[in-house]
Amino acid sequence: MTARKPIQKILVANRGEIAVRVIRTCREMGIPTVAVYSDADRGSLHVRLAGEAVHVGPSPARESYLSIDRIVAAARRTGADAIHPGYGFLSEKAEFARAVEAAGLVFIGPRPESMEAMGVKTTARRHMKAAGVPVVPGSEGPLADEMEARAFASAIGYPVMIKAVAGGGGKGMKKVEREADLAALWASAKRESASAFGDDRLYVEKVLERPRHVEVQVFADEHGNVVHLGERECSVQRRQQKVIEESPSPIVDEPLRRAMGEVAVRAARAVDYRGAGTVEFLVDAGGAFHFLEMNTRLQVEHPVTELVTGLDLVRMQIEVANGGRILRQDEVVRRGHAIEARIYAEDPARKFLPSPGKITYLRVPGGPGIRDDGGVYGGWVVPPFYDPMLSKLLAWAPTREQAVERLIRALGDYVVHGIAINAGWLAAVLDHPAFRSGDYDTGFCARYEAELLRPPDPRLEPIALIAAAVEAFRREQEEAPVRAPPAAEPGGSRWARLGRERALRGGGR
Amino acid sequence: MTTYVALLDGGRREEPVEVRRTGPGAYEVRLRGEVHAVDAFRHDHGTISLLVDTASYTAMLDERPGGGRAPAPIVHVKVRGSTFPIEILGERRLRMRRATGALTLDGRQELSAPLPGRVVRVLVKVGDAVRAGQPLVVLEALRMENELGSPKDGRVVEVHVADGQAVEAKTKLCAVE
Repeated sequence: MTARKPIQKILVANRGEIAVRVIRTCREMGIPTVAVYSDADRGSLHVRLAGEAVHVGPSPARESYLSIDRIVAAARRTGADAIHPGYGFLSEKAEFARAVEAAGLVFIGPRPESMEAMGVKTTARRHMKAAGVPVVPGSEGPLADEMEARAFASAIGYPVMIKAVAGGGGKGMKKVEREADLAALWASAKRESASAFGDDRLYVEKVLERPRHVEVQVFADEHGNVVHLGERECSVQRRQQKVIEESPSPIVDEPLRRAMGEVAVRAARAVDYRGAGTVEFLVDAGGAFHFLEMNTRLQVEHPVTELVTGLDLVRMQIEVANGGRILRQDEVVRRGHAIEARIYAEDPARKFLPSPGKITYLRVPGGPGIRDDGGVYGGWVVPPFYDPMLSKLLAWAPTREQAVERLIRALGDYVVHGIAINAGWLAAVLDHPAFRSGDYDTGFCARYEAELLRPPDPRLEPIALIAAAVEAFRREQEEAPVRAPPAAEPGGSRWARLGRERALRGGGR
Repeated sequence: MTTYVALLDGGRREEPVEVRRTGPGAYEVRLRGEVHAVDAFRHDHGTISLLVDTASYTAMLDERPGGGRAPAPIVHVKVRGSTFPIEILGERRLRMRRATGALTLDGRQELSAPLPGRVVRVLVKVGDAVRAGQPLVVLEALRMENELGSPKDGRVVEVHVADGQAVEAKTKLCAVE
């Protein structure tokens, strides 16, 4: 096989932290980058960090980040010869991968056929069953309507999970505890699914008892090599959205890791996979694991794997796209423990209401073992059009216990002013006895909902009152009109005057 | 010396605080019958290093516009992981607020859309008795459905929106009295 020409310039078809993440690796590799942006994102961080940037349309994603034509045109216009899709938006649309390849560009991701085989969840389940991969019991295909869903749910028994056939990211996914709730949740899932994926087909799966969500990172090249990079435990979920991810999983030992890894590799081979992918499993209370779905893209939580393996997954994606070979399974070395917490612009005290708006001040934590993958800056206005995730904060440490302490410490140092964030709630999750013990499942957030909303410590209230009052006092003094300016005596020291003025204002010495 | 009244818990609690300056950055603060020697050093952007007697604290002050009928800014003061939303009123402002009766959750409270979005469902009608926090409206914003709760116990007196309606941020949705 003749060596192909390596990628010369990469267009990143995404925004926010993942666009920044991809651009960072491209810069390290010396590969020029192109950002795309909507009306709302002219001031976005990824636009400033990229070598070039192209406006692709109005703020709603449908007219910008989801517009295949405009993104391919932006690549043509700037001479980019490859497109990195990031996650979300067009990343799992086979149609996009096809359009990119039809334009003679490299799609940094799997073949469109692999995406199709895994993209429709009901088809993916059939493929996996055929490959001998255990799946969660559920309907063979999409269900026509609520009546069919009701019949199927009664047959397999409640609780059941309604899922979007085109699903991903928890959108259009509803847990139904009893038959009485089915109608309302079916309608809600249909609406969410139509709005998120433009496809409102739904199917139904059995809900396992106290399941844990454990996923395996796989990587494949074009030369038939497939490896797994170990698991990520993602059982801390709120409304089916992951909030905390860690590796290793507290319930996965070496034999289970090997078993799940082998099945994940088999799943990837079954669809002739290429690049980075994630095979998601549900592990039931008895330790048996079932295929859930395969995400044919880089995951939000990929840095967890990067921290324990020391690898750069974006660099590996680009190397695979260049026709390179991946490392061997016995070269994958895992070390220590990593945890990620997703920092969202949302207010836990107000039912996690999204809180877009201007970040008036931002200070991110540092210190030993901390990594912040952010996409924002102080002064940026978080637009109301997209997912309100600001950043992913990670801690690495030799042991799980130390990693937990480290991440709690760093979350306490995360300062965002102007909008509400969930950092305090995330710290409460990590500090919860069930999380600390490692004995938790996907029901964690709902079960401990009340405990996770920790009221402020009343012993600190006087300190807060003192701070607020002293600051109000200082400001009043500063804003008061300057009385009788000191006489400018000839030869009088300006320093002395400045000193007197400062003393008058108080504070800020 | 200046006396302030701090409003806590969304106006449900009041605490008087007296501040007297004793030197550059040094204050005497009287609170709940105790007098504290306070040394305040202002860092950047709302960060204050406070020495209260000898204990050292970092206070982060984040000022946000107040909601509802309380237009004065609310300062969110964060100390060691605990956040206290506080409204600080000087004597003049306090008199004004007392005169208009807008200090507490008494009377009519408006629920407005915190974000632009679409009303998925209105869960109540005029005349319904509701509890504080009970969902009144389901709003779809950012592709997620959000339940908006009642600001207080009371009765729904107005409903301004209908299922399926698109709304801008701050659009009045309903009122509870």
